[in-house]
Amino acid sequence: MPRYELAVILKAMQRPGTSAALRRTVETLMERGAVVRDLENLGERLLPYKINKHNQNHLRGSYFLIDFYSAPNILTSLLDHLHRDVDVVRPTVLKKDDQVSSSNCCGS
Amino acid sequence: MFQVIGGRSVQAARVLAPRSAVLVEAVRGRKSRTDPVAKSKVGRIKVPPPVDPEEMVVLKERYGEYQMIMRALRLEARQEAQEHRVLMDLNHLENQRMLKLRIVRVQKEKEEADRKKFEVILQREQEQQEIVKEKEKEILQLQEDAKNFITLENLDQRIEEALDNPKNYNFAIDKQGKVVKQTMLQ
Repeated sequence: MPRYELAVILKAMQRPGTSAALRRTVETLMERGAVVRDLENLGERLLPYKINKHNQNHLRGSYFLIDFYSAPNILTSLLDHLHRDVDVVRPTVLKKDDQVSSSNCCGS
Repeated sequence: MFQVIGGRSVQAARVLAPRSAVLVEAVRGRKSRTDPVAKSKVGRIKVPPPVDPEEMVVLKERYGEYQMIMRALRLEARQEAQEHRVLMDLNHLENQRMLKLRIVRVQKEKEEADRKKFEVILQREQEQQEIVKEKEKEILQLQEDAKNFITLENLDQRIEEALDNPKNYNFAIDKQGKVVKQTMLQ
């Protein structure tokens, strides 16, 4: 199965709200038959520009990274669902390339 | 009594004294040696046909020349035929030799080709086995990773973990290659 990455920006909320939103998202994924591999938090940050979504103006958002394995045909319905979710400011699904040898990597 | 003659002496006899259509010569026939001579032939003296000396000379000269020429031609033909035979034999020998060499060479090439094919097959098989090993390794790796996947049970725990540990992938690097991972998280 191909490997995807969901980079999602959630509304800046208190901890229970964010936790619930994440739980909702992961459950949506699993409903559609995806296998969730890992969940990363990139922190609550200032957005690069003002984003207007669901009749709300957002300045800050919490960035999360979910990588999962799934069939490609569920992605459109998944994105559809995420666009409709009020707590989600911006969902983005990317394909994950095969791991490059990280020997000379300056990153993490 | 008279026998018909044919053959090489025909030409000479024809030149020397031909009168009849068929050439005949006297031969002992009905009578043997001891029989008495016939009454009509009592005083017969056999006389050979007359020969014209000038004609004979000319003829002898011409015949001599003609026969010399024929002999020469025949000799040359024989020599040519002999040379031809010699060359054909040489050619035959050469062909045999080349045949032997060719057979040996072809055999060697066939063996070489067979060996190469075999090697190619072996190589392919080895590559296949390598690929299978790689795939098996990948499968084992994935099985190991699968232990850390998120399931419904550890979902809450993982969410709490993630919210507690924000990860920062940003870094700065200068021209000297110094990496700085400490950045300000707004």
